[in-house]
Amino acid sequence: MIRSAYVITGIAVLLVSCGLVWAVERFPPPDFEGGHQLPSPTTPHPRQDIYEYIDVAVLLAALGLASYLVLKKRSRRAIFALTVFSLLYFGFWREGCICPVGATQNIVLSIFDAAYVVPITVAAFFLLPLVFTLFFGRTFCAAVCPLGAIQDVVLCRPVAVPNWAESGLRLLAYVYLGAAVLFAATSSAFVICRYDPFISVFRLTGSLNILILSGCLLLIGVFIGRPYCRFLCPYGVILRQLSRLSRRRVTITPDECIRCKLCEDACPFGAIRKPAAQWSGQDYRVAKKRLALLVLALPVLILLGGWAGSSLKAVTARGHATVRLAERIYLEETGVVTDTTDASSAFRATGKPIEQLYKDASSIRARFGLGGWFFGGFVGLVAGLKLIGLSVWRQRKDYEADRASCLACSRCFEYCPREHVRLNKTKDIKS
Amino acid sequence: MKSNNDNILQKTGTVSLWYRSAVVTAVVSGIFSLIVCVFLLGNHGRSIIVKTQQETELLDLRAQSRKQPDNEQLLAQIRAMDLQIRQQRLRALDRSTKGGYLLLGGIVVLVISLKLTGTLKKKLPAPHASKDAADEQIRKAAFARWMMGAGVVLLGAASLFLALKPKIDFSLTGAAGTSLTSAEQAAKSWPSFRGPDGSGISTHVNVPSDWDGKTGKGILWKTKVPLVGNNSPIVWGDRIFLSGGDPNALQVYCFDAASGALLWTGDVTRVAPKEGEDPLEPMEDTGFAAPTMATDGRHVYAIFVTGDVGCFDFNGRKVWEKSLGIPDSSYGYASSLAVYRNLLLIQYDQGGIEDGLSALIALDGFSGQIAWQTKRPVGNSWSSPIVARIGEQAQVITCADPWVIAYEPAKGTEIWRAKCLKGDIAPSPIYSNGLVFAVEPYSKLVAIRTGGAGDVTQTHIAWSNEDTGPDICSPASNGQFVFLLATEGLLICHKVSDGTKVWEHDFQEYFRASPSLVGDKLYLLSEKGRMFIIEAGPAYKELTKCELGEDCHASPAFADGRIFIRGMQNLYCIGSSN
Repeated sequence: MIRSAYVITGIAVLLVSCGLVWAVERFPPPDFEGGHQLPSPTTPHPRQDIYEYIDVAVLLAALGLASYLVLKKRSRRAIFALTVFSLLYFGFWREGCICPVGATQNIVLSIFDAAYVVPITVAAFFLLPLVFTLFFGRTFCAAVCPLGAIQDVVLCRPVAVPNWAESGLRLLAYVYLGAAVLFAATSSAFVICRYDPFISVFRLTGSLNILILSGCLLLIGVFIGRPYCRFLCPYGVILRQLSRLSRRRVTITPDECIRCKLCEDACPFGAIRKPAAQWSGQDYRVAKKRLALLVLALPVLILLGGWAGSSLKAVTARGHATVRLAERIYLEETGVVTDTTDASSAFRATGKPIEQLYKDASSIRARFGLGGWFFGGFVGLVAGLKLIGLSVWRQRKDYEADRASCLACSRCFEYCPREHVRLNKTKDIKS
Repeated sequence: MKSNNDNILQKTGTVSLWYRSAVVTAVVSGIFSLIVCVFLLGNHGRSIIVKTQQETELLDLRAQSRKQPDNEQLLAQIRAMDLQIRQQRLRALDRSTKGGYLLLGGIVVLVISLKLTGTLKKKLPAPHASKDAADEQIRKAAFARWMMGAGVVLLGAASLFLALKPKIDFSLTGAAGTSLTSAEQAAKSWPSFRGPDGSGISTHVNVPSDWDGKTGKGILWKTKVPLVGNNSPIVWGDRIFLSGGDPNALQVYCFDAASGALLWTGDVTRVAPKEGEDPLEPMEDTGFAAPTMATDGRHVYAIFVTGDVGCFDFNGRKVWEKSLGIPDSSYGYASSLAVYRNLLLIQYDQGGIEDGLSALIALDGFSGQIAWQTKRPVGNSWSSPIVARIGEQAQVITCADPWVIAYEPAKGTEIWRAKCLKGDIAPSPIYSNGLVFAVEPYSKLVAIRTGGAGDVTQTHIAWSNEDTGPDICSPASNGQFVFLLATEGLLICHKVSDGTKVWEHDFQEYFRASPSLVGDKLYLLSEKGRMFIIEAGPAYKELTKCELGEDCHASPAFADGRIFIRGMQNLYCIGSSN
């Protein structure tokens, strides 16, 4: 009875609220013929520099606080509160820009284009999380990154992703990083920003395709912990490697592991490694041969990857506006298409010679050919190293948070009985 | 088997009530969010559909208004529709913004209630039964390796697939950047007045040399042309294009080269004279459609004596049209069109030398917009521009009183000029063997060396023969001799090297069509429709002559095994059915 009442009330509220969407139509539309004086257009003032420095200060404070909360305070609640703050401030208030993930491209562009100067705030946004990761692990991912925060907030029914799937899917993030560097280095596009799935949510606007992508990722994120962070985030790839070297890191237990297994399924991101004993002699011999083969295959994979990346230059170069324009003009010139686009008409109106456009496009393609060697070689190297990593035996006595994969979210702490002892929670149980 | 947690929940009534409230809230907010989402998608879809239909209508109306600029009712209709579209857009945008906030609110409530249900029904950890950790790690690592291997193979296959897809090779466009299809086909076709480079030389040598219009021998087909015109046929692939006009209509015709069927007729709008302006009445000899059309293989272009230009695609769809204004021309505008890549070149000479009205205009073939326009210090002329390939460079060469001027076709900048002509210049220039040949009617033939810059009058005129010069027909040259054909029928052969006369022959007939070279033969079409075929050599030798049976003013067009001749009434295709 009570349940039915709830449902009826809920539906009523829902219908009234939905009516609001259409109620907007009843408001008088803008009057174009009522003698309205159009205001003279003015150039909007740029955002004051001081706010950018405030953003850097907030980032610094949030990183410091996150590191303290993860490593000293070990409080999941406080981390979650900071996550919500970061989501509101860096996400909805600052509308997701600038973020360290996208800043990677600015840094790359500044390396390859001498005419491009990185603003100091952008450099700070890129470097600060890296420095903190080097010292304290991925505390940036834990509670500061707005992209991670929105996924963390929607995670409600975590489902474990099998290890084999996780290993394969993680390769995508490396490919994405390589592509982002390639396109930024060739001054073609900032693909990370262009295809950022959550910016549209933060800004409550965006193209339909990106909004659908956002919706899908958030829906998946209800069941699979942080799918973008784990399988796509290019900045996460850099943070993973630095986190391996971090001076301090997250430990599940505050002191010693009693191997109670209680934390075994605590991590929704699959970052807890179980204890593992020594291999049997038979397995060891097979693994040694496999490892030797894979080490020998590594340069082959790099070369094959480089060759494949370079062969794709005609495809990847289409990311550059000049190449796209040259191809369009070529199609028009050769009669494959009979109409024009705004871009091709604008180009023709300039009177610039088409040969020069073709020459420029060929030169950009050549740059993509060279860049493709590095991009493909990088992907080959990563795939090879991952295969080698999966063939190396890691002996472990205790339950440990994986240095690279652990997002320092602090969920696992409360599963550890030693943590309860530390917090004197055992007194309640005893009493 | 229930966990301890479940038991606690069941026993504690308050916790259970909170839990149930959270579940109901989650369900309601979930449905709410879903409905808002559907509404937002509907709003988006609706705005797209409305936009497409109404904008198409608006575009049509705008097109109409260009033709009827004084139709106030039409303008009012356009304003009303424009206002309606803007209002709909703003309403849709407003709905979308409000809906976005509602959706965000719904999702926030949904997430909070879901989190609450999770917290209120949290299960205690239940460790799995002990397994052999080493075995498990080995198994998982093996799976992961296979997955990684599959990923690598997938990436490789995707790369291979993309790499093997056909791609555009810019380097194949050649030094001049001319498109492949156009360059090859232009050489095979007859895309403008007197062929690909305006020299009157056919690239095909297998053209017929025996026909008779009276008996029908060698005539493949004959089709009546709806409206008269002095322009010559142009050919591209299996299409032949002509234009025709009278005071009521300016038209473009497309014929099928195989059957002679009229495939389509395109109308070019004749811009009405302004108030108080007299309607143009050109000389009867010139007519409304004297300039020959031009094509780049995608579009065909026509200009009429009124200065109205039209562009059509090969299916007869009008791409654009433009009025350059009625030209101030003594005998009526007659310069033919030329094409350089995507540019339509119009030698728009008018008025006197001092009037400063003459210009060389390049229109973008795709849009009709002026790509460039260069003022010319000349008076009105009837000569046509040619695009000559001189070394690695293309030059547009023009003749008028008093200058022969060469321009860079892509930008319209002047390269060189020579002051050597006077009077009413109608013959077009030709380029052969490093020399540009220009004709001053009744007066002289001038040979100018190319390669100069600026005013080359004193430095680059190789020779000048002041014996005579035709007044209408353009010259032809095989590199060794230059042939001049006067309207009255006097054919003179000059040496290219020094301009000295080699021989002359009087046909005792009138000629309007310019001579054409087919291999080592010279084709000369008289006004009576008689084609004289003679040897293009150091001595006059008539090989044959063929009758068409109809008067002709236009120059013939040559194709593979065919000649297309426009008579005063009909278009003829000469060739064998084999």
